[in-house]
Amino acid sequence: MIDRHDEVTELTAGFVLGALAPDEERLVREHLAACPEPHAEFTELGGVVPYLAETVEQLEPPASLRDRIMAAAAADLAARSGTSAAPVAGREAPALRQDSATVTAFPSAAERAERTRRRSPLEWVAGIAAVLGIVALGAWNVTLQRDLESTRGYERGLSAVLDVAARPGSQTAILTPESGAGPNGLAAVGPDGCVAIVMRGLAATTGSEVYQAWVIAGEGATPEPIGGFSVGPTGTAVFTADQTPATAGVTLALTREPAPGAVTPTEPIISLGVTPSS
Amino acid sequence: MSNTGRQGGLNPVSPEDADRAVLARVSAGELHALDELYERYRTMAYSIAYRMTQDATLAEDVVQEAFLGAWRNAGRYIEGRGSVKTWFLSIVHHRAVDAVRRRRPTTELPEREDMPPQVLTLPDIWPEVAGRLDSTEVHAALSRISQVQRETIELAYFSGLTQQEIAERTGTPLGTVKSRMRLGLLAMRRALVGEDGLGFGREEPRWADR
Repeated sequence: MIDRHDEVTELTAGFVLGALAPDEERLVREHLAACPEPHAEFTELGGVVPYLAETVEQLEPPASLRDRIMAAAAADLAARSGTSAAPVAGREAPALRQDSATVTAFPSAAERAERTRRRSPLEWVAGIAAVLGIVALGAWNVTLQRDLESTRGYERGLSAVLDVAARPGSQTAILTPESGAGPNGLAAVGPDGCVAIVMRGLAATTGSEVYQAWVIAGEGATPEPIGGFSVGPTGTAVFTADQTPATAGVTLALTREPAPGAVTPTEPIISLGVTPSS
Repeated sequence: MSNTGRQGGLNPVSPEDADRAVLARVSAGELHALDELYERYRTMAYSIAYRMTQDATLAEDVVQEAFLGAWRNAGRYIEGRGSVKTWFLSIVHHRAVDAVRRRRPTTELPEREDMPPQVLTLPDIWPEVAGRLDSTEVHAALSRISQVQRETIELAYFSGLTQQEIAERTGTPLGTVKSRMRLGLLAMRRALVGEDGLGFGREEPRWADR
């Protein structure tokens, strides 16, 4: 330690200014962590550095940056909550009306819990990456003009979701297809049951077709429609609803229905996500 | 590091204490606390990032990475190692250095961890004197040090160049670059806080992280 003491002392100014090569910086860091001798010069010189920041011309970032950061943090939070959600044993499948050939069971509570549990970190990374990827497009890949309109639509939608997600007591969920790639997005559920969902990658609706959002509020609950929306060629959509039964630990799901007003979901499930249990 | 010197009778909660309270909530995963942190430091972060990258898109990228770094690592902030402001500034600066160096493929990139290690969070004189300084006074302090020292310091802090690269690009011996940075920082310190040190070095920093 002591043998490198002088060498490290000589690197102090470069270190506090961030002007060392990586190997030099590593040397300083490792030495400081272990050296029993005081290195008062780091305080002496380093204390000045924050003032350099004061000399910079003050500039405001664009307003969209806040939305991107909050979206990424919300996705991060949803992933964290998702990986920690424990499966609940003995939960029954939510009751579904089986009176139509086109209606099949939504995933049971156990299946949904399993779906949450079995997700490997990598899958969550992929889920987050899907959300972040489209967010990042707005900043980094503006040359991809053909995606731009859909990206902007998605960013606008994220603002609506974030308005809900930023309220105390709100929950977020990442919506993904049952398997593989496909439509995905982010949902936020407010404490008063308001829901905001932003989706991308949806196939455009035609005629009277709509995408219908459903809430499966809990054990034995019937999937409850909370509204529908149509989708244009960009494949992005924003959906908001108030006073839904959505709360912590519910499943949000999307189906494609031939017409608005469906009271039972039609397979397949396009995308779904689970809000964390509170 | 004590904040008592900054707390007037009319202002029972110092900005540093308020910052720490916000950061604690960020650490607990509160999105609206992150929003508050963003409101407080977006201008500082973006201004530094833009000054260093000279590129609006890259600067936004840096600011986003810095706030997400704070979001994920707020629990690693250690009280007594300096203000939240300095801690966050150091994150922004490191991200910006990385971004600038990444743009120059010839420069070796550091194997950067997600965050600068705690030893980089330097105890600072911010809580001691920041309330009495505005940028005009800082500019004045900078103007009192020699021009060649000031230029070397600004190059070192804002360009992302290493001291070796600064020596090569300015045709100056490395030893001279090092002494200009060191003497310049010392002179700037004297200009900011006076010869008596005003609270400098009163507390011995404990560098050993763990």
